[in-house]
Amino acid sequence: MITLDVKDIRKKFGSHQVLNGVSFRIEGPELVGLIGPNGAGKTTLTNVLDGAIKPDGGTIRLNGKRIDPLHPYEIARSGLGRTFQVTRAFRRMTVLENLYVPALAMEAGVNRKEMEEKAHEILAFLTIDHLRNEFGRALSGGQQKLLELGRLLMLDPDVYILDEPFAGVHPSLMATIYKWIERVNGEGKAIILISHQMESIFTLCRRLLVLNFGDLIADGPPAEVKNDPAVIDAYLGVEEDMSGSGLLRQEASHA
Amino acid sequence: MISHAPKAAGYVAAALLVLFPLFYSAGNYDFVMHLWITAFYYAIFASSWALLAGYGGQFSFAHLAFMALGAYGAGILDNYVFLTSLPTGTCTEFGIPGANVVLLPPSGTGDATACLTAARATWPEGATVSRVPLLLQIAFGAGLGGGAGWLIGTLVLRLRAAYLALFTVGLSEILRAVLSAEIWLTRGQAGLPMSPLFPDGVTILGTSYGPAAKLPAYYVMLGLFLGTLALLLWVARSRIGLFLRSLREDEDAAEALGVDTVKWKRAVFVLTAAIAATAGAVQGHYVGLITPNTIVLLQMSLVIAMAVIGGLENVVAAAIGAILISFALEFLRTDFTIMGHEVDMTTWRLVFFGLLLMLTLRFLRNGVIQGALMWIERRGVGAQTVAKRRATEETK
Repeated sequence: MITLDVKDIRKKFGSHQVLNGVSFRIEGPELVGLIGPNGAGKTTLTNVLDGAIKPDGGTIRLNGKRIDPLHPYEIARSGLGRTFQVTRAFRRMTVLENLYVPALAMEAGVNRKEMEEKAHEILAFLTIDHLRNEFGRALSGGQQKLLELGRLLMLDPDVYILDEPFAGVHPSLMATIYKWIERVNGEGKAIILISHQMESIFTLCRRLLVLNFGDLIADGPPAEVKNDPAVIDAYLGVEEDMSGSGLLRQEASHA
Repeated sequence: MISHAPKAAGYVAAALLVLFPLFYSAGNYDFVMHLWITAFYYAIFASSWALLAGYGGQFSFAHLAFMALGAYGAGILDNYVFLTSLPTGTCTEFGIPGANVVLLPPSGTGDATACLTAARATWPEGATVSRVPLLLQIAFGAGLGGGAGWLIGTLVLRLRAAYLALFTVGLSEILRAVLSAEIWLTRGQAGLPMSPLFPDGVTILGTSYGPAAKLPAYYVMLGLFLGTLALLLWVARSRIGLFLRSLREDEDAAEALGVDTVKWKRAVFVLTAAIAATAGAVQGHYVGLITPNTIVLLQMSLVIAMAVIGGLENVVAAAIGAILISFALEFLRTDFTIMGHEVDMTTWRLVFFGLLLMLTLRFLRNGVIQGALMWIERRGVGAQTVAKRRATEETK
């Protein structure tokens, strides 16, 4: 079974404590939402998990194997993949080439035919198959998001971390991303979803982690977290947070 | 939908280049052969630099510095290390199976061979003295270049774009200064002489050619050029090429998708540096003299201009660009007069290339040759995309 065991992760930038002993454990095909106000440390946590930033302390184990001392590419090959908050499609490479990079990085002797078939299947699923020979830069912002999700499927990790997959995405593409998440999750993979779109988070996730100023202040089912006074105080209740609070209030009143 | 016409044209062009010296017979034969050899020499640099900068995104100005390391590495073996059949007793020497290796003391512009000459006078007839075999010299130069490539590749791992360029400009200038200053070893600006590619001449298909003949050198450089191009093309089209392009586009994203960016960055530096060094060693033997001025910034700029005008992201396009430009540079040497004003073309031709470079960068980011190749190869892609989208819309 897939396990991601994060223990007491601490990270300081200068005198600023960005992550203050964050611990959580994911078991099996969980779909976990990671939320928190801007500057809470969500992206830093993601960067620590994927190895781009080394933590000052704490350990991360993926399927029992310690991954925190590894390079990012080793972590990716061990089974932890991520997308980026700002889309990072390879712009001067074709859509297909974008997809081949992780497949070939995982396995030098990969069966080319199988790889190509898999890539076509994924592109068709993501509704961008007609763009396969176009350069990454020719794709729209939303299509580039889909391309990133496609690349991640080619890497096929055990744990997927999605950093703001819905930001700036049209509702019709959003449906495709929902389908993608259901597919990955249905294949038994764990997903950590970072988003400010509370509607999506509450629709999709069965468990929420709430970060605030580097502290994990809540960890539990959405219904429970939603009513946690600490969470309301830190995040959900803040009026300025246009992306979440209004929606949530409505949902809360309907519930 | 992807056209294969350019590939076929490439094979035809390679075949024509192989046959050319056998059928060309004009009075300026040696001059034209020399132009081709120089063109191949530049094409090796431009195409290998295209892999480094165009594919790998490593905009290095140290490419000719690696060339100089190869040339001087070979040159130092050529000048200061000899193999003899008998020990001299006076020189620094050591024995290896089958021969005696003599290390002459580098003596700058003086005569280094004094102790060897003295010993030879006392030797019986039949005793032999020979230079280090040419292939071994070239391999040594290539190794030196490749090793330096590894070191530089490691030093610049964390440097991006402009900082990498500045770092390598500095490095290249330092090497030039050292080569100029260390006269005891390199003879400084006087240049280090090198033995010809075929000191005893060579016989090809029953015809004998002297050490100064152009045809053998033409084939050596053409072989090196085509071999280099084949190797570069193989790398560019393999998964390594894909990884290099991915790290050029976005290092963090490539790393997050499992690409060992450090390894491939180093590897592309080692490979292209070794190629440049090999070309330097061969060219040194062909020209017969190597000087520190071969790595002035202007020369490096010329290589960059060739690659950019040809097409930075395509090793073949960069090579074609280099060949065209090195010929153009030669033919634009002729001065002419406009309305009584004489135009000194030896200087003005460089202005012409500066302009061409600027126009290419502004209007044809993919380069002239690569732009044309892409136009041919990708002609159907846009239509294909639209047709496919229509088809899926109709089935809905």
